[in-house]
Amino acid sequence: MKIAISATEQNENSRVSDRFARAEYFIIYDHDSLTFKSIENPAKKEGSGAGGKAVKVLGDLGVDIVLVPELGPKALDALNAFEIKSYQYPREKTVREVIYMYFEKKLPELLVSTSKGRH
Amino acid sequence: MKIAILSGKGGTGKTTLSVNLFSFLKKATLIDTDVEEPNSHLFLKGYDLLEEGVYKKHPVVDDEACDYCGACGNFCNFNAIIPAKKKVLVFQDLCHDCGGCKLVCESGAISYKDKEVGKLYHSTIAKNKKFIYGNLNVGEVSGVRIIESLKEISKNEEILLIDSPPGTSCSTVAAIEGVDYCIICAEPTPFGLSDMRMVVELLRAQKQNFGVVVNKSNLGNDDIYQYLDEENIELLEKIKFDREFASILAEGKILINHSEYFRNKMKNIVKKVMGDNCDQ
Repeated sequence: MKIAISATEQNENSRVSDRFARAEYFIIYDHDSLTFKSIENPAKKEGSGAGGKAVKVLGDLGVDIVLVPELGPKALDALNAFEIKSYQYPREKTVREVIYMYFEKKLPELLVSTSKGRH
Repeated sequence: MKIAILSGKGGTGKTTLSVNLFSFLKKATLIDTDVEEPNSHLFLKGYDLLEEGVYKKHPVVDDEACDYCGACGNFCNFNAIIPAKKKVLVFQDLCHDCGGCKLVCESGAISYKDKEVGKLYHSTIAKNKKFIYGNLNVGEVSGVRIIESLKEISKNEEILLIDSPPGTSCSTVAAIEGVDYCIICAEPTPFGLSDMRMVVELLRAQKQNFGVVVNKSNLGNDDIYQYLDEENIELLEKIKFDREFASILAEGKILINHSEYFRNKMKNIVKKVMGDNCDQ
């Protein structure tokens, strides 16, 4: 199982991002091998449709779950199409902390979008 | 002769200038290409009203025929089409209708469907005076298609005035494409000057002829005049701010019918820009 988290820096101790699809990096935690990997978010500078693109990138990497600060309607549509579940983290935490919170079932699942998308 | 009135900064007086120049001329067509927030029509009461839709195509994917190769998604620059696991997502509002996804699709799964993005409103204001404006539907991302329709309809007009959108984006570029002259309507404030510089850069890159009308010339500071001087840009006219003007405009009236001062300013601008090109 792979979990992707929007992050401000390239390691698991970095602060989580306030944006999902326009975050600087995604940290991908592989729960089978217990390893972390970081990728630069190729969607962050898109003129439009960053949400869809970010989800596509994560979907192609085989991500099963994303931990996000908020989600626009297009990102949510795309997550559903890629069969990726999303959970909302509180701000100002680190990547490691929100992963613990996820496993402790402290993060609510997002079933409707939380924002209108910001372009 | 085709003349675009543009500004960079919003609220400098593009529409005031456009509708008054239009009213001053005996024979002319005005198009309002600020389709996100058209407002020339607030000043121009016409007849023979005609409404028509403007349409844009967007892709529709046959999920059965699709082999999920991903080519369409890789091609699209705007993330309007995203192939997922068992279906292809299409975000209609992001689509720029370039036709590229269908071209790269080898399984023939993509067709196109029309969607109305806005409307055109035609009217006659007086003999030899036509006015057309466009209005973008709420939620649509780009008004370029509507601006192109306005330009296409009016391409054979002898005297065409174009009330352009503010800024220097795609909409503005579409509005000024193919014109003979651009009038920048600027205001002498730091913000006004800063945005005007971007317009000047745009117009120079597009190799357009242009001049500047400084509106509300008794406000702000003198930096704009120094800039025009340094850059060797023609100052067509200075128009003062007057509370009386604001109140006439707020009633939706045409200023030249109420102010001799303003009428003379329009006359000078027309003379400088059009020369003997027009019959007043």
